[in-house]
Amino acid sequence: MKKILLLIYFLSFHVISELTLEITQGTEDPYRVAIIKFSGADKAATDIQKVVFDNLLRTGEFTIFDDEDLLSIPQIEEDIVFNDFRILDIDFLVMGQVKDDGLNVAVEYQVFDISKAKKIRTSTVYGIPNKDRQLAHYVSDGIYQEITGIPGIASTKILYVTEANNFKLLISDADGNNEQVLLESPEPIISPSWSPDSKKVAYVSFETGIAKVYIQDIASGKRDVAIENSSQISSPAWSPDGKFLSLTMYQDGNAEIYILNLKNKNLTRLTNHYAIDTESTWSPKGSKIMFTSGRSGSPQLYELDLKKFNSRPKRITFDGNYNAKGSYLPNNEGIVFVHRADTNFQIALKYFNENFVRPLTDAQMDESPSISPNGNVIVYAIKDDGMGLLSGVTLSGAKFRLPASKGAVREPAWSGYLK
Amino acid sequence: MFFLKNKFNFIVVIMFLASCSSMNVTEEQVYSGNVKTVKASSSTSNNINYDSMAVFANATVYFEFDKSNLTSKSIQTLKSAVNALNENSSIMITLSGHADERGTREYNLALGQRRAEAVSDYFVLNGISKDRITVRSYGEERPLAYGQDEESYSKNRRVEIN
Repeated sequence: MKKILLLIYFLSFHVISELTLEITQGTEDPYRVAIIKFSGADKAATDIQKVVFDNLLRTGEFTIFDDEDLLSIPQIEEDIVFNDFRILDIDFLVMGQVKDDGLNVAVEYQVFDISKAKKIRTSTVYGIPNKDRQLAHYVSDGIYQEITGIPGIASTKILYVTEANNFKLLISDADGNNEQVLLESPEPIISPSWSPDSKKVAYVSFETGIAKVYIQDIASGKRDVAIENSSQISSPAWSPDGKFLSLTMYQDGNAEIYILNLKNKNLTRLTNHYAIDTESTWSPKGSKIMFTSGRSGSPQLYELDLKKFNSRPKRITFDGNYNAKGSYLPNNEGIVFVHRADTNFQIALKYFNENFVRPLTDAQMDESPSISPNGNVIVYAIKDDGMGLLSGVTLSGAKFRLPASKGAVREPAWSGYLK
Repeated sequence: MFFLKNKFNFIVVIMFLASCSSMNVTEEQVYSGNVKTVKASSSTSNNINYDSMAVFANATVYFEFDKSNLTSKSIQTLKSAVNALNENSSIMITLSGHADERGTREYNLALGQRRAEAVSDYFVLNGISKDRITVRSYGEERPLAYGQDEESYSKNRRVEIN
């Protein structure tokens, strides 16, 4: 009845520092949501509402109606004429009031279910000075969760690396704004990874001349090498309980996967093969480790069952000549990875109950996929005219780009929920 | 019913009102996530001995995509390197392995290491003591050529001997 097959919101890709939304294909049956112009403090209300719009549009799951599209514009709850929204096939209505006392901004918003002619949510978010975007992210997450039943990810963060005059490890909001520097170094930084509580990051830095894994506390900046060892160490990944770090060690010359107990620093060796074994990652419950191995002659993904004593790695990718850097969907229903069928590197998805690979992107050099904590969006690195940029794709098919940062951007890693 | 979470110094209160069982009422405070910037300084032990460089020119050997085996051309280069090392027993060498940008960064780091190890193995097989050799990889992080074509890629798949 309300199928919109192709939504095209195309803003120029050349606008730097502005979010570029390129929703090439949203879901076939998007939620139709009216958002009335937020009342109160004019400037703040406009800015906050714009961020909420963009956040919801970027999910690819909404068609949004603003004041200009509507038959009536209620200013207060009592004025809502539900029939005016039903005629337009609108499912939900959102109203908001912005309160600005000159020091702090707060937003109160209400969500109405049109078919039931009923208020289903009323929420207040209290902001802190100069963090109106954050406030808007909380509002969009509330609206998103109320309508879809799934937690929103607008208030989560992304970690990534840039290279210009030097290398930087940066943290930003999920929409690429509010960028802050975690680490600056004259030498390469690779493989950033979040602790499950999103308070710490692990990464590989070449600052001593060889690859070493560091763990850094985000708020204090305190950092340590994960293992004191003279050989190269890389590819850190936290276990879901935060107690272990899987990593790749090169002490006998070849890449092998180990698990480091962060408390007592004990090491357990997981792989033993003359081929490359690296890029380990944990299943959502921590019972399995997936990794990339060259043991079949080309890079492919393998899985190890940690609950079985001496279990042998089981190959899990068979289509394509290069399958690497896998990660599990948070619901453990499948994996996302870098896939090459012929010559192009794409981001692909494979559900465990299907026997085929679903390519999610179609450029030539897409890499480093990282999945949002709600499992709905994948952020990844692309090369556009030789330049590194970040892109996103939702499982519903919407695509977007994050604002260009200074320098070549690469290796995004999505945080967990920060609330 | 309501519950409190204090983990990030902010409070989320969710009350499911009994009188209105299907409406969610929430109140939350934006969390101020502080970020501290750290500046790393390079402590690379890249001291190249210029005395030894006078007699032992730097050399580079090249590889095929996703391969770490030595080509016959590489072996010619390495033979003269072995001679130079035999003539100057005080020379220490560093083998730095590299990969082209295709494929994932961690796999390429491991591949660069494999290439450097392949060169190291050749030296050891030809009588050079392992103690004189340092092996390391930069993966795809230190390209020599920046083009996205086979010509650039072939220059980047290399082991540098210094």
